[in-house]
Amino acid sequence: MENKEAYPANDAAQDVKDSSRRNFIKQSTLLTAVALTPGTAIKAAADHIDEQIAAVFEKMPLKMQVNGKTQNLSVEPRATLLDILREQLDLTGTKKGCDHGQCGACTVHVDGHRINSCLTLGVMMNGRKITTIEGLANGNQLHPMQEAFIKHDGFQCGYCTPGQIMSAVACIREGHANSEHEIREYMSGNICRCGAYPNIVNAIQEVKDGGMAV
Amino acid sequence: MKQFQYVRPATLKAALDVIGKPGVKVIAGGTNLIDLMKRGVTAPDKLVDINHLGLVDHQSLKDITETKTGLYLGSLALNSVVSENNMVAKRHPLLAMALKAGASPQLRNMATVGGNMMQRTRCGYFYDTTMPCNKRVPGTGCGAMEGINRMHAIFGASQQCIAVHPSDMCVALAALDATVHIAGKKGERKLPFTQFHRLPGEHPDLDNNLAKDELIVGIEIPDNNFAQNSYYLKIRDRQSYAFALVSVAAALEIENGIIKNARLAMGGVAHKPWRLFDAEKALTGKQPTEENFAQAATLAMQGAIGHGGNSFKLKLAPATITEALKHAAGLV
Amino acid sequence: MKTAINKTMPSSAEGMSRVDGRLKVTGAAKYSAEYTPKGLTYGVLAGSTITKGNIIAIDTKAAERAPGVLAVITHLNAPKVPGDQPEKGKAADAKGALKVFYDDKIYYNGQPVAIVVADTFERALFAASLVKAQYKTEKHITSLPDNRDKGFPPRGEGTYKRGTEDAWKLAPFKVEQEYIVPTVTHNPMELHAIIANWDTDNKLTVWDKTQGVKDTQGDLAHLFKLPKENVQVHSQFVGGAFGSALRTWPHEVAAILAAKVVKRPVKVVLSRADMFTSVGYRPFTWQKIGIGATADGKLTGITHEAAGQTSSYENFTEGPTGVSQSLYACPNVNTKYHLVALDIATPTWMRGPGEATGAFALESALDELSYQLKLDPVELRLRNYAQTDPGSGKPFSSKFLNEAYQLGSDHIGWKDRKQEPGTVKQNGWYVGYGMGGGMFGAYRAGATIRAKFNADGTLLLQSAVSDIGPGTGTAMVLIAAEQLGIPAEKIRFELGDSSLPNAPTQGGSATTASVGSAVYKACADLKEKFQKLAGNGATNNPDYTKILKDSGLPSLEVVSETDGGNGMQKYAMNSWSVHFVKVLVNAATGVVKIDKVACVSDCGKVISPKTARSQVIGGAIGGLGMALMEESIIDHRYGRYINNNFADYHVPVNADIPQIDALFVNKPDPIINPMGAKGMAEIALIGMAAAVANAVYNASGKRVRDLPITPDKVMA
Repeated sequence: MENKEAYPANDAAQDVKDSSRRNFIKQSTLLTAVALTPGTAIKAAADHIDEQIAAVFEKMPLKMQVNGKTQNLSVEPRATLLDILREQLDLTGTKKGCDHGQCGACTVHVDGHRINSCLTLGVMMNGRKITTIEGLANGNQLHPMQEAFIKHDGFQCGYCTPGQIMSAVACIREGHANSEHEIREYMSGNICRCGAYPNIVNAIQEVKDGGMAV
Repeated sequence: MKQFQYVRPATLKAALDVIGKPGVKVIAGGTNLIDLMKRGVTAPDKLVDINHLGLVDHQSLKDITETKTGLYLGSLALNSVVSENNMVAKRHPLLAMALKAGASPQLRNMATVGGNMMQRTRCGYFYDTTMPCNKRVPGTGCGAMEGINRMHAIFGASQQCIAVHPSDMCVALAALDATVHIAGKKGERKLPFTQFHRLPGEHPDLDNNLAKDELIVGIEIPDNNFAQNSYYLKIRDRQSYAFALVSVAAALEIENGIIKNARLAMGGVAHKPWRLFDAEKALTGKQPTEENFAQAATLAMQGAIGHGGNSFKLKLAPATITEALKHAAGLV
Repeated sequence: MKTAINKTMPSSAEGMSRVDGRLKVTGAAKYSAEYTPKGLTYGVLAGSTITKGNIIAIDTKAAERAPGVLAVITHLNAPKVPGDQPEKGKAADAKGALKVFYDDKIYYNGQPVAIVVADTFERALFAASLVKAQYKTEKHITSLPDNRDKGFPPRGEGTYKRGTEDAWKLAPFKVEQEYIVPTVTHNPMELHAIIANWDTDNKLTVWDKTQGVKDTQGDLAHLFKLPKENVQVHSQFVGGAFGSALRTWPHEVAAILAAKVVKRPVKVVLSRADMFTSVGYRPFTWQKIGIGATADGKLTGITHEAAGQTSSYENFTEGPTGVSQSLYACPNVNTKYHLVALDIATPTWMRGPGEATGAFALESALDELSYQLKLDPVELRLRNYAQTDPGSGKPFSSKFLNEAYQLGSDHIGWKDRKQEPGTVKQNGWYVGYGMGGGMFGAYRAGATIRAKFNADGTLLLQSAVSDIGPGTGTAMVLIAAEQLGIPAEKIRFELGDSSLPNAPTQGGSATTASVGSAVYKACADLKEKFQKLAGNGATNNPDYTKILKDSGLPSLEVVSETDGGNGMQKYAMNSWSVHFVKVLVNAATGVVKIDKVACVSDCGKVISPKTARSQVIGGAIGGLGMALMEESIIDHRYGRYINNNFADYHVPVNADIPQIDALFVNKPDPIINPMGAKGMAEIALIGMAAAVANAVYNASGKRVRDLPITPDKVMA
């Protein structure tokens, strides 16, 4: 899962840099800071000058690959991968179901491994390769798991479906789809409130038994 | 969530330089911390991402390696990686079972060994910032004591706090006599795993004995002869992806039909993984029978106190101990 | 016939796949929060932290100053909602829907006290946390058991009597027990969400999670005093609802107000915690059943009392005692239903509303009676089989429940069940079988379909109906394909848009019967038009494209309307279900595992086997959740939910659920509509909780009467 290149050998420097940037803001005159700041922040900054202006500056660069495409973004450290995908990149296939790692609707692959994007800060994804549901099909040709979900009706409302499919693909890749029992356990991180579980299991078994590349 | 600074030190030394200051939190997998930040339970000014730390004593903090006397897990090893590791599966199946009983595959792909140890209680009063909670804000009272405490502690609680530690992994590590390797500015120290987490006492805000300016760097599990006869049994409200009502890590070394050595620890019952030393002693030298297991389970319950909603655990816990031991001994 | 299933139990791969399947598996299906009108802003609600009282001060300064914040709206500065204002010269209604930001009154914990609008979600969320309200608190009540004495009958309903009151007491065999169904929350996977935008001062567009775009349009038009046609509601994909999107909620109005203030589109997405307080729930209901029978198992009397919770500002009424009035032939039945007003948000209909609650009590009590009688529970039901509706005396439009009993018994292996509880053990687990059934009215409402047949051979069907998941579009396409004899791939069904022809709100298992009837009629009307065009000699399956070409027409269109039918005047119309469950119980730890499930639906003709099967399985799983784990828990000292998240409010996960046999009697109902199809959504859940409770008893001898059946209640 490592991408060495993305992480400079001595990143402790970043800390120093960040602190000094904040110090710079603190020490700079109101006038200087205001010149660099959009109007709303100036208005808002009335008597909390440091916090307000810092907020404007406190975006960080984020470079990550999403579905094969490199994205150069500027994000607040507090923005989660899920919200960045949905709100900044308009990749709304990844769903928000609980926002607390309790439902799996936000499941995406990071460097091929399934994770909950709602509990992942975007800034921690620097240099990583993200695959979302939008990146699973090969052009117009659906991924076998997508085909199997359609065939076995592995959903009703469809809201948990992208997360289920990303998880299902990972479940097979991890080698955790060797029995119905094992699939059920390893798909338990994805809640489906419509109750499509048996159909989801059938879809995964078909893909697994079909020996198709996932 | 409050805005914060995010820094990404690349060396342990650089990390140790930043942590420990007020308002600083360390992030590894983030599966609990980000949840807590979203709920406003914690609001750090600075987040120190330790996922990119380099080597410590020539070992990556992500590695799982053999030592002369056991197995060493780097603190940044992922829960999923540890649970699937061949050496872990072969030598400490109890740990693999416990890890697989926790959270979900996605969360295990994010959560680290050290982070798992550092996760905070799942007590609802701790999470709701409008409720009293001595752990979150000392002096505000314990909401759970007279409230909804079905998930709460029956052992080692104080008037201040009856929360439980939610980890499964830690229950197995407590049973397996692991040692925690801790790095600080003054160097490394070691702590028996059973002494890492603490009871709430008068300071429920402190979950463990790690100083603010220290980092967990690894866990060492000594070699043992429990691999043949160990079992992790977790009782919960659904079959997966739920915290334990009660869980039991049971490990037996059986020789010629006699228990030579026993290890037992429980989860979901105390502020820390609850090791059952008396029951272990009682089992030693005995035959692995259901009667002996039930007796040990009864012994293990000495000192347990129910608080209403969780009083059922006074019955569930010994039943679970017996069941786990039966599984470990191959009686089921 | 294409749509017919030729066996009682289709597999997951049989039948036509969903028409919107591809959109759903690729992430292309867009739900309400996923539209991006220009200038989109984010609204986050701040909720009350007290349960009852008044806001005496609200400090919004910090929130207003936070970066990116565009507006902070509270009751102090919110624009007036015209529809919330009392009519001139009239006093305000004593009760009614919660009026958001209307005044300083707090009715429940979590009630919105402010909405913060900012340019990004993160900024709005943080700023909302800075809003600090001060309150004058009043003593609140949130517990139904502690306040049952405050119950009152709902207007116009509440009591029912036929024959002699409390006749069960005189029976030689009788059971009297109390049953609890706790508060259960719909918790669809999609968080309720709305994007609101004022196109002009009197023109409103919303992308909103709703089960009925027309109802939402009507509500919003009323609230904001707009002509209906000036309110455009989009709800093309709905990520589940189960009843939670059957009405217009405060957060929707809040978003619309916010959009008015910032003059930009505002998106509001509820948090999972909000989902427990903001969009209804199945109300906590206490029930007591007295039931008696003769030695040969003939019911002599049923008394069914129920008390359900509601809010202090609205009387939410459902029908938990209805099943006792109609499910079995019994000469003497009396029922009583009370409401208890608590300081909580108003409940709402949740899948199988009333009936699911009532069936848990009645079907559990009947099971208890069967053990007293030492009579097989299925046999007990057959001995009291209602051939006509016991309440009205009307004949049933159709009822094949006896066949359903047989089918289910065969599939679950009922013959292996032992009448004596706790006598079968396998690998250390007790084995038990249980069954429970239910019924739900087979409703049908008026609907209109616009159908346009194009020269290229494609057919476009349009309706304002929503699809919250059952596969409405798929069923409608199948009906049209069969009626017109054209391939389903040529047909497109457009829905979820208030500008399309009228359709009822998706609820009460009535969509296929209602909208399907309109599709059926539209196809007949189209065919007639085509036949007229073709002139004499047209066959029953004309070549539509050729006729269009010969007539030089680009397309042919009809708008066809159907009413709700008049079947109910002469007939009692219901769908029926019975669920069979095999459980494994660990007596020591109290763990219950569902080993096998067979659900049989008597719901008329099955239109779309694949989606019908999924709907039954989904309802069954909802019922299993209700049976084993679902409960929204309030700490009554604070009036706050303590488990308002998906880690502590347990719904079933994959590991809880075995393969489920979904079986269909599949005999058309001759009365309800030309397709012979009745609803199946509610009956898929109704009765399941009792089936599980009954199976747990059969396995372990432990009778659990207060749901959910968690390990602590089952263990020895």
